[in-house]
Amino acid sequence: MLQLRNVSVKLGGVEALRQISLNAGERRIGIVGRNGSGKTTLARVIAGLQVPDAGSAEIDGRDMARDRKAALRSVGILFQNPDHQIIFPTVEEEIAFGLIQLGRSRAEAAREVQTILAHFGKSHWASAPTHGLSQGQKQLVCLMAVLAMRPALIVLDEPYSGLDIPTRMQLMRYVDEVEARILHITHDPESVRHYDRVIWIDEGRLRADGTPSELLPQFEAQMRLWGGRDDLSDLAG
Amino acid sequence: MISLTSPVETWAHRVPAGVKLAALSLATVGLFALQDPWHLAIALAAVVALVLSGGLAFAAEAARSLRILLPFLGLIAVWHLVTGQLAEGLAVALRLLAALSLANFVTMTTRLTDMVAVAAWLLAPFRRFGLSTRALELSVALAVRFTPSIARKGGLLTEAWRARSARRAGWQVVMPLAALAIDDAEHVAEALRARGGVEPPEFTG
Amino acid sequence: MERNLTHIALFAALIAGLGLIPKFTLAFGVPITAQTLGVMLAGTVLGAKRGALACLLFIALVALGLPLLAGGRGGLGVFASPTVGFLVGWPFAAFVTGLIVERWRGNLALVSAIASGVGGILVLYVFGVLGMSVTLGKTLPEAALLVTAFIPGDVIKAVLAGLITSALARSRPASVLSRG
Repeated sequence: MLQLRNVSVKLGGVEALRQISLNAGERRIGIVGRNGSGKTTLARVIAGLQVPDAGSAEIDGRDMARDRKAALRSVGILFQNPDHQIIFPTVEEEIAFGLIQLGRSRAEAAREVQTILAHFGKSHWASAPTHGLSQGQKQLVCLMAVLAMRPALIVLDEPYSGLDIPTRMQLMRYVDEVEARILHITHDPESVRHYDRVIWIDEGRLRADGTPSELLPQFEAQMRLWGGRDDLSDLAG
Repeated sequence: MISLTSPVETWAHRVPAGVKLAALSLATVGLFALQDPWHLAIALAAVVALVLSGGLAFAAEAARSLRILLPFLGLIAVWHLVTGQLAEGLAVALRLLAALSLANFVTMTTRLTDMVAVAAWLLAPFRRFGLSTRALELSVALAVRFTPSIARKGGLLTEAWRARSARRAGWQVVMPLAALAIDDAEHVAEALRARGGVEPPEFTG
Repeated sequence: MERNLTHIALFAALIAGLGLIPKFTLAFGVPITAQTLGVMLAGTVLGAKRGALACLLFIALVALGLPLLAGGRGGLGVFASPTVGFLVGWPFAAFVTGLIVERWRGNLALVSAIASGVGGILVLYVFGVLGMSVTLGKTLPEAALLVTAFIPGDVIKAVLAGLITSALARSRPASVLSRG
């Protein structure tokens, strides 16, 4: 169970999140909003990477930012750009890292890496250099690295941006099969249409909350309305 | 990433890395102790025989890596012809060739993982003084992982430059490249923290 | 902790990357390597300690056998060649450069250029000349004479390091850790 109580975050003097409160226990939750709406900051708060300036963020009663040990088992995060996530030169090292961080021995970690690679039918990737992978392949490695740690909740921060349609569809299939709860942050309504619940964030505030069928049409109508205007000229601050 | 280990498998690939490194250290000290050109010539002949024992293809590759010495050998030749101290010049040239060939021989016949293992063994005693071998391991992995990606971005930036300019890309490219390295460092630090950080919390059971 | 480590590793990678970019010339079409510029930047941007560690990490990777020096050179042979001092001196050069930028809170571009000159030329050449003197069997003044031709190129690099550091500070103030 994810619980946010009056979460506010300021980044460089700008209010990125303002008093966000929500309880969420659904298996598939989408968070939609425009670029700069505060979605990524919210993802970082939920994953425990950003300490809120006010309010609290807890998963199953534990503060993810302060209790990092609990956080490693409760929540994993998939970043927008896999190049920012992949730390190691080879696929197996990358996946093993999180497992070793959880206290597994190297031998145990190596076994679990084999298991997860085999589960995805990618056993032949083990010693492949991460640098040579395509963007979609890199994102899949990141997903496997997060899944290997078996967190109860996985936060996805725009994982499909920059991927072509076939790659996106394949990756979506993999994500849909994931057993863990998923909180998917995106500006693309299409990727969360089949989810249990959608939350709309706008200018750091919670603007709407409901099922995809009632909320997404409003969201799309608003996006098209804004798309007709020229708010690109406005500078922040 | 490509390492300098030779793909041609020689007998020396099977000699333990620690033995090769110890022998190299001793031999290099020895080379610098020798002064007589005759002794150094014999030493160089021995090194050449060692390199040739790896086969002709291997020796050719080894010879190519000596090219960086050419300007220095030319310099020594001119210098000692002018000063007339030919024996000394010969000694310096022979010593350089032997020392460099021998060092390259060890690099060419030792796999990266074996080299890393020796380094880890050498550094182990320093753990007592607070050296984190885990942090070291991570930073080596990170540097190896990000070198090709920074080089690639550098290539892309030079391309973008050439697309808009008739002149060749210059130092101005270094600034965005450094900025990218800094951005990457910030993001990776975050990704590292998301998975427990450099010193992961202790898990018992 | 994580930030220190990733900055050190990424700057080691930056120095390596600067040597790998194909057809990259620094100034006036002179093919001088940009890697020592990377060393100066490690000092001016990361500060003394982190800058020196970034260079140390880079040297360790070269010693382990990775071809990270300009032109794809690397391995133990580098440490037996006449230019050995110019490589071994990098951590010291970055350290002194960083120390000056940390302590002397003047105009960043100017201070960085001067610091790069002191660290990246003065300090580095002490090591470089020592290395040349030992490997080539020359006296120190003789060895020093041999490397004077490279000083103008390095002065240009020091000026560039100053310009780049101040540009970085303007575009993202938090990135210049030496002044943090």
